[in-house]
Amino acid sequence: MPLIEINNVEFTYRGSTAQALDNVTLSIEPGEFVGIIGPTGAGKSTLCWVIAGVIPQIILGKLSGSASVKGLPARTTPVAEISQIIGLVQQDAEAQLLMTDIEKEIIFPLENLKLPRAEIERRLNKVLDLVSLNHDRYRHPFYLSGGQKQRVAVAAALAMEPEVLILDEATSELDPLGAEEIHILAGSLKKEGKTIIMVEHNIDELAKVADRIIVMDQGKILMDAPTREVLSNVEFLQGLGIYPPQVTQTAYAMQKLGIVFDQLPITFEEGLEVFSRLSSHD
Amino acid sequence: MTEPIIQVENLCYRYATRNHFSVNDVSLSIQPGEFVAIIGQNGSGKTTLVKHFNGLLKPTSGRVVVNGHVTTEKSTSLLAKFVGYVFQNPDHQIFAETVRDEIAFGPKNLGFSEEKIKEVSMKVMNEMGLTGMEEDMPFQLSRGQRQRLAVASVLAMEPSILIIDEPTTGQDWKESMALMELVRELNENGHTCIVTTHNMNLVSLFARRVIVMRQAKISLDGPTQDIFRYGNELKEAWIKPPDIYALAQSILPGVKLDKPIVPEDLAAMLVEKLNGRS
Repeated sequence: MPLIEINNVEFTYRGSTAQALDNVTLSIEPGEFVGIIGPTGAGKSTLCWVIAGVIPQIILGKLSGSASVKGLPARTTPVAEISQIIGLVQQDAEAQLLMTDIEKEIIFPLENLKLPRAEIERRLNKVLDLVSLNHDRYRHPFYLSGGQKQRVAVAAALAMEPEVLILDEATSELDPLGAEEIHILAGSLKKEGKTIIMVEHNIDELAKVADRIIVMDQGKILMDAPTREVLSNVEFLQGLGIYPPQVTQTAYAMQKLGIVFDQLPITFEEGLEVFSRLSSHD
Repeated sequence: MTEPIIQVENLCYRYATRNHFSVNDVSLSIQPGEFVAIIGQNGSGKTTLVKHFNGLLKPTSGRVVVNGHVTTEKSTSLLAKFVGYVFQNPDHQIFAETVRDEIAFGPKNLGFSEEKIKEVSMKVMNEMGLTGMEEDMPFQLSRGQRQRLAVASVLAMEPSILIIDEPTTGQDWKESMALMELVRELNENGHTCIVTTHNMNLVSLFARRVIVMRQAKISLDGPTQDIFRYGNELKEAWIKPPDIYALAQSILPGVKLDKPIVPEDLAAMLVEKLNGRS
């Protein structure tokens, strides 16, 4: 049974006339790593909010169609309840931080769950290690850089130990290796059996970790297919203003110059392998 | 050699709340018309460094000279006449009730005439894709639109030095590209442009010089295509060069690049090698 099911969902924000989601249907199985890509205004964040019940419970508007998480209707199941299944890390980390230091930020929702003290301590230490913030645990969020704030937001979501983690451009302010760290972390969470949904502009990184990619534009799903299949459509993606992996672009350009590939490489390692093989081939 | 437009001499800066230097003994000079990217890990001192270029921060020790003015001797408002600074987070910058007022604020303070204010406002709104939003409330715009508004209101002051602190935040690739294309156009018209960013693909496409910050110091400084060959040194600064540079180095060892490359360039180089051999 799918973990997340969205059927014919349409949504218009209150006060707006434009439809933010237009007949969106998809289902996500437990343990999948799904990437969502598309230009701004495509409806990526809106879709994440529908899945988490934030729309229409907190962010208002006109919603039709159905959305469910583990069989629970996302529309009516309290967000607090859904948030025990789904951890949502949003684009603007700053807007999510409430408390006066990092430790409190992570502990607060755990205390709300009335977890035992020892369990809270265990989770706190674990997630601070995971995002390399152990030394900064008493710092006020105000003094953190954009990237550090994003790490705090990720840590706070992980501490809830959700089955599903939604990362909505959660690494946009991180340095390249810091972002890679979060991507690797997400990849290892998938290996532990968690379901990951990642909205991401960095397609090079997404190519390494996602099983499947959903391409959105203007509220619609344009493509929903395995990662390689989506990323091989170089011109389609470029037409949407998306920058495909550089290795894929390189191979695609070589193809135009007469070199034949069985399949286009989508990660650096694949590119290195296939280009080296070509170059050394007699 | 012409007089540098920005001259930094042994700059040290320590925030009052910290017990270490955020910029530690940094010296550099930037010539008029350069297009420089400053890159490095979060917290490496990039933003602290560039905030000295318009006098938002004053050195703890050392000296910064901008356009002939020693920044400690001049007010930030005087420096604002020729240094435009776009903040990382547009919400740290935006304050007006309407898009129109936000954009007109800077030029008004600089004493531009009504006529001139109208003219530049229309121009920058058009360039930043904000036409038709004159009466909108800035905080009702999307994050990407607010970022572009922030840039527009700085461009409206027509500064000769433009500093953009992470232009990609909240933007998709197309919007980041559009913003950078605009910056490039300004650069071609003689503006000195300084960008801090984590997006190495953008750096490769636009910057001609790259300065790498690591732990409050400059660790590398040179032409873009050269800097991206220092994979190990970059890794220490938490930077990953664009994949095509690492691929070029592995598959075409010893290849000399005289300018930054794009995937099509690498493809042509690889195909040339293949054809040359057969």
